[in-house]
Amino acid sequence: MGLITPGSESDETEQLPLVPRVDSLDGKTIGLYDNGKPAAEPLLTAVKEKLADRYPDAEFTWYHVEHLNQIKNDDEQDAVKEWAADVDTAIGAIGDCGSCTKFLAWGIELIEDAGTPGVGLIDEGFELDYQSNAIERGRALRYKKTPVRCETTDLDRVRDEVSEDVVDGIVDELTRELNEKERADPVPQ
Amino acid sequence: MSEQSETEQSLDEINKSLYSEGMTDGLPVIPPTDERVEEMLRGIDRPRDDVVARLGNNENALTVETLAANAVMAGCLPTYMPVLEAGVRALADPDSNSIQFSVSTGSWAYQWIVNGPVREKLDIESSSGAFGPSFHANQTIARALGMAYRNTAKIYPGEKDMGVMGNPAKFYMLAAENEEASPWEPYHVTHGYDADDSTISLAGPNSWVQWLPSENEGEHVLRGMIRNTPESMRASSGEDLNATITHVINPYNAEELEKEDLTKEEIKEYIVENSYRTTDEYAPARHSGDGIPPRQVKQYQDTDAVKVACIGGPGRVNAIFGTSIGGPVTKKIHFPDNFDELLEEYADDVERNWVPTEGFYE
Repeated sequence: MGLITPGSESDETEQLPLVPRVDSLDGKTIGLYDNGKPAAEPLLTAVKEKLADRYPDAEFTWYHVEHLNQIKNDDEQDAVKEWAADVDTAIGAIGDCGSCTKFLAWGIELIEDAGTPGVGLIDEGFELDYQSNAIERGRALRYKKTPVRCETTDLDRVRDEVSEDVVDGIVDELTRELNEKERADPVPQ
Repeated sequence: MSEQSETEQSLDEINKSLYSEGMTDGLPVIPPTDERVEEMLRGIDRPRDDVVARLGNNENALTVETLAANAVMAGCLPTYMPVLEAGVRALADPDSNSIQFSVSTGSWAYQWIVNGPVREKLDIESSSGAFGPSFHANQTIARALGMAYRNTAKIYPGEKDMGVMGNPAKFYMLAAENEEASPWEPYHVTHGYDADDSTISLAGPNSWVQWLPSENEGEHVLRGMIRNTPESMRASSGEDLNATITHVINPYNAEELEKEDLTKEEIKEYIVENSYRTTDEYAPARHSGDGIPPRQVKQYQDTDAVKVACIGGPGRVNAIFGTSIGGPVTKKIHFPDNFDELLEEYADDVERNWVPTEGFYE
């Protein structure tokens, strides 16, 4: 008895490489990508403050998606890529719901498309969501889990939650060399 | 298992396999065999490899054939295929915002309203219990569309579909408008279609509230529409997010509103003018400088954010669906040339003889 598959047949997505990381954040222009969720700006603000302490010569530049849904528009996607092309590396936030985690992954993908290494900051409960969106796009987009939970916008509370360990992890994601899978090296024949 | 026939074992195995691949809604399905899919395709006059829509992150293709496979799994009749095809076009319309509401933590549901002659032809219920279980077309069409979306976009609870609570109505919320009992122009006519057109409309609410007026009288109905809408059901139409609520009014109460000479538009205007929500007392006034912050603001931005339809049977219970963050979008249903023959052929499959009363009182 033959069966007709009820699903789409696009599982085989070509593995795409990540952009090589920077060697250090010292003296770099660091992009802060706010995907339009309320918690994104306070989280990135707290991260920026801590990075500025560590790297006094680093510069920061923001990109704000005014409304989360705008990232679906071609014009917005082009603007993100144009902005990302002018920074050395970028940190995006936040993945703290179903659609915003999807759209954060899209944003980090656009940043990588622009030739800039990026990392997405996510609520730790949304790790599988971020991963599954990245897998579907065929690119092992980097992320860092944070203890900042959905819709937390109190900047003082966020500052407390963004520990030095969290910042260590973000720095690591932006500077650690790519592994074989992330480079999407061809499988040796 | 040893007591089962070969066919039953096969049914078990196929269901296990489809479930493990994430192809079902968790309920048993009818195996989409070559033969059954072939029969399902009789209901549509598009080639089986035609792409009806592209859905999800990667714009995965949903073909006529895969739609038919999902229709078989859901238990549809071939005559439902034209409705399914139009429903898929609604899902793929960017204005439906299905790419967001299908995965959001808000557990939004696919809400379908069917209008026009197709309601009678397919016995799509519009009266008592229309949104509930029991009605073959209502349940299986919504189920097929839900599974087709999931199987094409490849979204699963906890991975991409991040609905926190989930929603029992997600794949099962479809009713026809009770046009015959409604005093107003049909829902699809309000949205630009001819009364003779058959259409399916999609919205994406995550909740509904049922309520009843204290008196079966127009003013009480209007007040009730406002008083029973939770403050959390805020709505404003717009390009970035078209947030709407839908008031589904039963025929009795719709008739009372009609006695007051109220059109649907006038009802919407009244609701928008008179609906307020309290503000957060700690929030500073955003627009009034040093003035005293307002304690309430308008709940709806404009009348486009409020929809009205007439559905349901006898009684005075109404429903409010909202807030929808998808659509509403309406699509015309196209029928194959042999549709009337197919209707005749499958008519017996959905005959209702639930409570036979014929002759009892004679």
